[in-house]
Amino acid sequence: MAQALEQVQDAGDLRQGPRRWDEPFGPDMTEEDVDRLMATPPFADMDPERFSRRAPLREILKNDTRILRYREGDIVVREGDYGNSAFLILSGTVRVDISPEEEIPAPVLGRRAPDRKSFWEALSQLWSNASQPEVRDSAGSAALQGAGEREDEEGNVRLFLQDIPSVLEAAKTVTLSEGEFFGEVAALGRTPRTATVFAEGDAELLEIRWQGLRDIMRRDPELERHIHQIYRERNLETHILATPLFQHLDHRDAPEGCECDRCRAIREIVRSTEFETWGDFDWHVSYKRLTEESVIEDEPVIAAEDHYPNGVILVRSGFARIGARFGEGHRTLSYLGRGEVYGLAEIVHNWRNPDDRVALQHSMTAVGYTAVLTVPTPVIEKYVLGSDPGSPIVSEDLLPSPVSRDRGGPELPPPGERSNREGVDQAILEFMVSNRFINGTASMVINLDRCTQCDDCVRACASAHDGNPRFVRHGLKVGNVQVANACMHCADPVCMIGCPTGAIHRDPLGGEVVINDTTCIGCATCANSCPYDNIRMVDIRNRRGEFILDVESGQPIQKATKCDLCVDQLGGPACQRACPHDALERVDLNDSLISLVEWARQ
Amino acid sequence: MSSFVRRRLVFGSAAVVTALLALAGWLSLHLSLRETGFVSGWVLLALVIGLALFNARKKLPFIPLLSASTWLQVHVYAGLVTVFVFLLHVEFRVPDGPLEVTLAVLFLVVAGSGVVGLYLSRIIPGRLRTRGERVIYERQPVFLRKLRDELAELVDEIESTSLSDFYVRRLIAFFAAPRNFWWHLAQSQRPRRTLLNELEGLDRYLGDQEREVKDQIADLIEKKDDLDYHFAHQAVLKYWLFVHIPLTYSLLIVAAVHAVVAYGWA
Repeated sequence: MAQALEQVQDAGDLRQGPRRWDEPFGPDMTEEDVDRLMATPPFADMDPERFSRRAPLREILKNDTRILRYREGDIVVREGDYGNSAFLILSGTVRVDISPEEEIPAPVLGRRAPDRKSFWEALSQLWSNASQPEVRDSAGSAALQGAGEREDEEGNVRLFLQDIPSVLEAAKTVTLSEGEFFGEVAALGRTPRTATVFAEGDAELLEIRWQGLRDIMRRDPELERHIHQIYRERNLETHILATPLFQHLDHRDAPEGCECDRCRAIREIVRSTEFETWGDFDWHVSYKRLTEESVIEDEPVIAAEDHYPNGVILVRSGFARIGARFGEGHRTLSYLGRGEVYGLAEIVHNWRNPDDRVALQHSMTAVGYTAVLTVPTPVIEKYVLGSDPGSPIVSEDLLPSPVSRDRGGPELPPPGERSNREGVDQAILEFMVSNRFINGTASMVINLDRCTQCDDCVRACASAHDGNPRFVRHGLKVGNVQVANACMHCADPVCMIGCPTGAIHRDPLGGEVVINDTTCIGCATCANSCPYDNIRMVDIRNRRGEFILDVESGQPIQKATKCDLCVDQLGGPACQRACPHDALERVDLNDSLISLVEWARQ
Repeated sequence: MSSFVRRRLVFGSAAVVTALLALAGWLSLHLSLRETGFVSGWVLLALVIGLALFNARKKLPFIPLLSASTWLQVHVYAGLVTVFVFLLHVEFRVPDGPLEVTLAVLFLVVAGSGVVGLYLSRIIPGRLRTRGERVIYERQPVFLRKLRDELAELVDEIESTSLSDFYVRRLIAFFAAPRNFWWHLAQSQRPRRTLLNELEGLDRYLGDQEREVKDQIADLIEKKDDLDYHFAHQAVLKYWLFVHIPLTYSLLIVAAVHAVVAYGWA
């Protein structure tokens, strides 16, 4: 063995392979910090023997966490931001904004308030657009927007609320104190932050990135129970009641401790629902190495074809592929997005036909990273279907169509509304799901049978962005459809994860994913995260064409740029309106492929 | 019914109605023995200026002035109506006089180039999908250089008199620049087949290793030919507007001169 190893070593170019903690979350974590954490609940109560030798508790704390210090008013997380970490309060207190309507205004959080150009401002672009590329009149600062900006002792950029009393007066908040967790839902489910959190006074927080949280939860049942309990208490009921199947149980104005049938039903559903995540949180990294032939086989199976339907599976976030065995492979039949349901058709069929039960007819696999809620079959039968198969509790409209009998067995349509039964070309369906373009709510698609490559679209985009086009007219193709390299304004915008200032955010009005140029610090987190290479970092210049340099490093200041769907322009996306040949369209691939197919067939 | 068919019906009907109205107006003037030339001339000039506004619309993509595709449809059908009004203006006769002949020729070339351009923009994109990789026009020289370098490397590595001779005699020139422009527009693959047949003809003089290289050279020839096919078609798509637009401005200038002369001699 040793001789064989020596031979291999002589033959090859030996290098240290990458390891999990090559880039610790908090490079400044010291052994003393870790000692302190090991003596602090809940870590002090954990049994280190439960952890593997490859990922001991001490190493997880050293490499997957970091200690952050906040001053009064510092914004910890913003509602709507995407995050990949949870927080444990080590000392001090934070306030959580839970007001349903009176939210903290966007500029106060460092976000740009949406404002469209007036007609004259739009027209003046004809002569006022800069002659140099990427001109900025200033390097930008969140302070210009209404939020304060400072750098802490470790060099991290912090935004802070400038007028805390008025925020507290307008918003409804709750206080979290030492020993409490928050942010775990967004970290594990990859959903937007559900609330804005800011420091009430000086506070010390332990930020745990999702990998560390996942590993600790795996090894410490108590923490896992606690995190799941928080989720059940804070969020699960809201998610369940957002599903049409359960909306008949909504008792919005119920007093605390209400024991009516509806409230008892929803409590039982919340208690019995399982919350799981599947796939790779960092799928946007592995996406770039995907190969067409292995992708379905590599996807984690959430529910397998021919297995017993244990419950209804609701997609909480991300996407799931619905497929079936076909020849030696698997054929994609449909895909599910947030809020959609799998397994209901089989459960309803079995409830109506107890002597003719069926197994799951299609498989469900995770595309990227998928969070699901599983509501057990007995609970569905009790609170959604009822005891009379002829008269379900919920409206018949919410239940799948009756089964058609064909060739000796029932054949159920695949769940979801975007399947090849509605006339979607199989090649397009496979292409869109495998390349995860179904993430896009405003994907730029080009009909190659009509595109004359005149570049009017590119020129229009440049005209609307001070002379700088924000997309590239090329990309992957299937048949006559090309998906161009333009921001797709994804339903699951992984680019937003980890932005330190919240500069990249979802516009509260139209839902576009936009970058606030003023508060962007050019860290390139978003550009590196985008799996579709739709975000570009640019060096900014002044009107004379000189690079604007950072006073400390002497290097050109960079900003992240991408398509913003012309959110501040009159009339919407300039590219689509500029195409004379009806060859370019911004399409919601997240919603349906039917409109794409019909458009491409024109 | 597809939206395009519906659109053609709507715009086509509107064009026919407009043309009939123009004819009715012209006839009413003509039958009452009044001068039709001035009225039809001003209408014609207004139509040409309106058609030329399409180019101005393209410079204002950030103002909501209807989509460019709607403008193009109006431009096409208004263009057809304009040809009809032109025929009314010249009273279906061939004009005489150098100024009028120049004006008529300019008008017909502009109109004709418009029709040709529309035809090309509908036919060529589909053709480009049938062959080779769709390389952006401005990137084609880079692509060509890569193919050229790859070929040179192949020929350098193999010591073969036959292949080297063929390379010097035929391939250096072929790979130097885009070739066979008019053949590609005519959809003919004759030059490609000729070159490949010549290469295939060397097979009897080659060893096994040389035959492998010959196959790789054939592959590069096909890629280069596909690139030339794209170059020819994309060049036509890009440059037909260099006929249509400058001549439109010339037409407007000569039309203005014609109006001055017409009023001067009235």
